[in-house]
Amino acid sequence: TQSSGSSGINAEYGEEVNKQLETMGYNIGVRLIDDFLAHSPSVTRCSTLEEVAEVLCKQGFKMFLGIVPEVRNWSSAKDEFSLVITENPLAEYVELPPHCQDCLWYSNIICGVIRGALEMVQMDVKCSFVGDTLRGNDSTEIRIKFVKILEDSLPAGED
Amino acid sequence: MAVCIAVLTKDNCPLYVATDPTEDALKMHFLVHTSIDVIEEKLSSATAANDPRDLYLGQLYPNEDYRIYGYVTNTKIKIVVIETISNPLKDARQVFSQVHSAYISLVCNPFYSPGETITSQPFLQTVTALMRGKAIA
Repeated sequence: TQSSGSSGINAEYGEEVNKQLETMGYNIGVRLIDDFLAHSPSVTRCSTLEEVAEVLCKQGFKMFLGIVPEVRNWSSAKDEFSLVITENPLAEYVELPPHCQDCLWYSNIICGVIRGALEMVQMDVKCSFVGDTLRGNDSTEIRIKFVKILEDSLPAGED
Repeated sequence: MAVCIAVLTKDNCPLYVATDPTEDALKMHFLVHTSIDVIEEKLSSATAANDPRDLYLGQLYPNEDYRIYGYVTNTKIKIVVIETISNPLKDARQVFSQVHSAYISLVCNPFYSPGETITSQPFLQTVTALMRGKAIA
């Protein structure tokens, strides 16, 4: 039993950890993309988000995590989609302790990797978890939303 | 059917003790405690060359109502299983290796620190099922 005060602290703690994980993932992603492209000579520049999703799942995830997530739940404008992971290798054997149960996205590092890697190919996306079987949800699902094409190669935030 | 399964650290602290509700928990704890001496004796006298890495110690000592078996892993985690004479286990070795596997999965959880008391649900469920004599897949 927790007072609302301490669950507030938990939520803050969770948010902080999630952010850190995302940042770690981002730093990995900006480097990983070069490794990926170097080892995937058949991958060409993607012209649609659908192609991006396809390459991400069938080649990216396969190469580094050994799994192929399913692409689902396209938005009507085709600018948003979900990745559904059935067997998350990062979460094998993991059991979240009670204080993390509601606030921590354990595999949030993956979101950062996707965001960082796509930024390096001039694509700005928002990437976040919407469900995780570790937290008792039905499925482990990442929602990816296309924001914009980055026109020049200056770091994000510059115009 | 086992009436008690206990997991102890290398310093002989109890990590987890599960007892069948039909038995007196205190008596089970006492039996596990006394078996520690026997385990230590076996460990110090066993010649390392002969024994396999995961030492199945076999029956530890005779008792009028119970049989007590011991097992120690190469990290000196000890597992003790107690069964009643009236309802013997089919295969004690299998019980030990399944408890050991459950312990390994537990230790792989990044949120569990070795030496902490075990509260993990999957581990507890495995041990409870083993005590009832159900084999785990």
